[in-house]
Amino acid sequence: MATKRPPFWQREKYTPFLLLLPAILTLLFVVLLPLLFSLYTSFTGYRLIRPESLWQWVGFRNYQRIFADGDFWTAFGRTIIFLTIALNLEFLFGLGIALLINKITWGQRTLRTIMMFPMMFSPILVGYQFKFVFNDNIGILNNALQSLGLSDGAIPWLVDKYLANFSIIFAEVWMSTSVFAILLLAGLFAMPRDPLEAAKVDGCNPWQVFRHITLPFLMPFVFIAMTIRSLDVARAYDIVDVMTGGGPAGRTELLWTLIARTGYDNARMGQANAMAYVSILLSIAFTYYFFTKLLAARKYMGGAE
Amino acid sequence: MTKMTFKRLLTATALTSIAATAAIAEEVDYGKFDGYTLRVKLIGGAQYEPLYARIAEWEAMTGATVDVLSRKNHFELDREIKQDIAAGTLDWCVGSNHTSFAPQYGSIYIDLNGVIADATLAEFQSLALENSTVDGRLVQLPRHSDISNLYYIKSLFEDADNQAKFEAEYGYALTPPETWDQVKDQAMFFADAPTFYGTQFVGKDEAITGRFYELLIANGGALFDDDWNPTFNSAAGVEAVNFFKDLYEAQAVPAGSLNYLWDDTGLGFASGTVALNLDWAGWASFFNDPENSKIAGDIGLVRAPKGSAGIRTGWSGSHSFSITETCDNQDAAASFVTFLTSHESQMVEATAGLLPTRAAVWDDAKAQFTADGNDFLVEVFETYAVSMSEDAFTPPLITPWIEVSNEIWPQLQAAILGEKTPQEALDEAADAARIVMEDAGYL
Repeated sequence: MATKRPPFWQREKYTPFLLLLPAILTLLFVVLLPLLFSLYTSFTGYRLIRPESLWQWVGFRNYQRIFADGDFWTAFGRTIIFLTIALNLEFLFGLGIALLINKITWGQRTLRTIMMFPMMFSPILVGYQFKFVFNDNIGILNNALQSLGLSDGAIPWLVDKYLANFSIIFAEVWMSTSVFAILLLAGLFAMPRDPLEAAKVDGCNPWQVFRHITLPFLMPFVFIAMTIRSLDVARAYDIVDVMTGGGPAGRTELLWTLIARTGYDNARMGQANAMAYVSILLSIAFTYYFFTKLLAARKYMGGAE
Repeated sequence: MTKMTFKRLLTATALTSIAATAAIAEEVDYGKFDGYTLRVKLIGGAQYEPLYARIAEWEAMTGATVDVLSRKNHFELDREIKQDIAAGTLDWCVGSNHTSFAPQYGSIYIDLNGVIADATLAEFQSLALENSTVDGRLVQLPRHSDISNLYYIKSLFEDADNQAKFEAEYGYALTPPETWDQVKDQAMFFADAPTFYGTQFVGKDEAITGRFYELLIANGGALFDDDWNPTFNSAAGVEAVNFFKDLYEAQAVPAGSLNYLWDDTGLGFASGTVALNLDWAGWASFFNDPENSKIAGDIGLVRAPKGSAGIRTGWSGSHSFSITETCDNQDAAASFVTFLTSHESQMVEATAGLLPTRAAVWDDAKAQFTADGNDFLVEVFETYAVSMSEDAFTPPLITPWIEVSNEIWPQLQAAILGEKTPQEALDEAADAARIVMEDAGYL
């Protein structure tokens, strides 16, 4: 007796898709649709305060303006430099902290918790904290320098071209070094003891052990941390906005302070979205680069590709 | 029962000493809105909060409840309102507004003419109502006004040694300045960086655009011509930029000025490290309060000085309340904003130094300060009354004002820091402003 074929959604080979459907739908509505919508608006003259302008198709005009806009490319370049410096510093400090904490046998848990304090603050609070620290007139840093006799002038920390960028990077590094430290510490905990002991038996000095065993083992963790942080830093906004607002004269302007001003203060959401789409390329490039390095590092360690 | 004349309101709050002559013409029925919840978005901040303590009174009187959806500074509130417009979520009734911001919002707020009783509107200063009008529609009810005058440390000017040295160096007597050129001389004379500064200015956002704008007018310039072509890159504009640039280069202002906003300059003057300070009336009580200020009791005040065209600077605006078109109970909303701008409410705000928009409150507040023996606030109100009536002017009440401002201030900073000459910077800003005006349909 021939059994009736079940409808296609009950067939076994479709079951996985059926089970995944809620996830797929969620992704579609929460991620893909907003992305497509903002992509669409980047081709319109959409202004927040005039909802009807959503239908004003302007083709590539927003993109043409951006590509001809020196301020945008300066902010783009500055974001890359900012990202490179901040990530490298965070990596070096994070590695140092992780190695030191890994050596401790007593009170390690407490230290690990303390180490994560900066991450617990909202970036806006961190911004205000360092805005006060670096204030030229009433800030504690200048007052300390003057009291110690190290400086007799008011150093314009948040105005000078180099110092202003330094101050913001300092705040960023202060807040987020622990991301690196915690991920690298996890790497150190997961590290097998055998190669280390073998190396010691073979007479390697501590530097050689670190250089040829510990560091290569940690590199996949480093690149994961780098990927996460590069996405964070490429979106840096709160700290910069509070400390300098991207100024003075655009000296600390990063992509997202520019985009936020264009989109909200100037209400030109279409143009802001075009900027955001160009800047996403930056994030994709960094993510791709770090993933390539991650795969290479895993391969080097004999891990799966 | 809810019909309350002003006389009864005044009696209820022991302000009987204030003559209620002006109030007789105005009878306000605040209405009954039992069980209704009025949703509002208000500006927050130390200066603005004392008024909100009165909201409970309105609730008790009308039976309505007020749900304050947000209480943020104006720049954040502005973003939130723009998001509401974009998302179509204007599901609230009353919002704080400001003369500088109002033109951006198009027609989301109703025309209050005919909604607020004529007798009530007649109590407001006509200039304040005029500045609250956009395209012939009264889109906001002014709550209090703002204009700046020049505060200075009195003892510095009274010091005989200072007077002799200044006269020897500059060839005229050291008296509180009448012109901005004198301000520059005196600021450079008093400055001794990094411990003491001659003056200071706010250095970013619409704040410095506003300061540039008023000096431009005072020097005989204009932001736009009659056809909305940008004209601020004129000789008067360059002269205005040079005022800031010269002070900055001479270290007569703090090195971080370009990052300062109102709080920084206010706290800076209160710290006693600045000789001259152009500031809003709202700071007066703070400056003269020994708890907060090192110069309490040693503050002089003169009208804002004149620019090279003999005009006084007088950038002005009003904080206000607006009612949305989408409001589901405009009567309740009208009752609420009328209450928050009533004679009694404005007396509460005047005590903090905020400038009333009702003509009668000026006199009544002054009478109250005199009765309290607060000579400083009497002087403040007298000085600000003159500048409000003779010197006040608003920025152009056009939709793209904030956007134009965002093109101007980074260029001002670049000129002050010496990255560009003032002429180059203003030319670039004017070109960018032209594009903004073209996009907005003005050109």
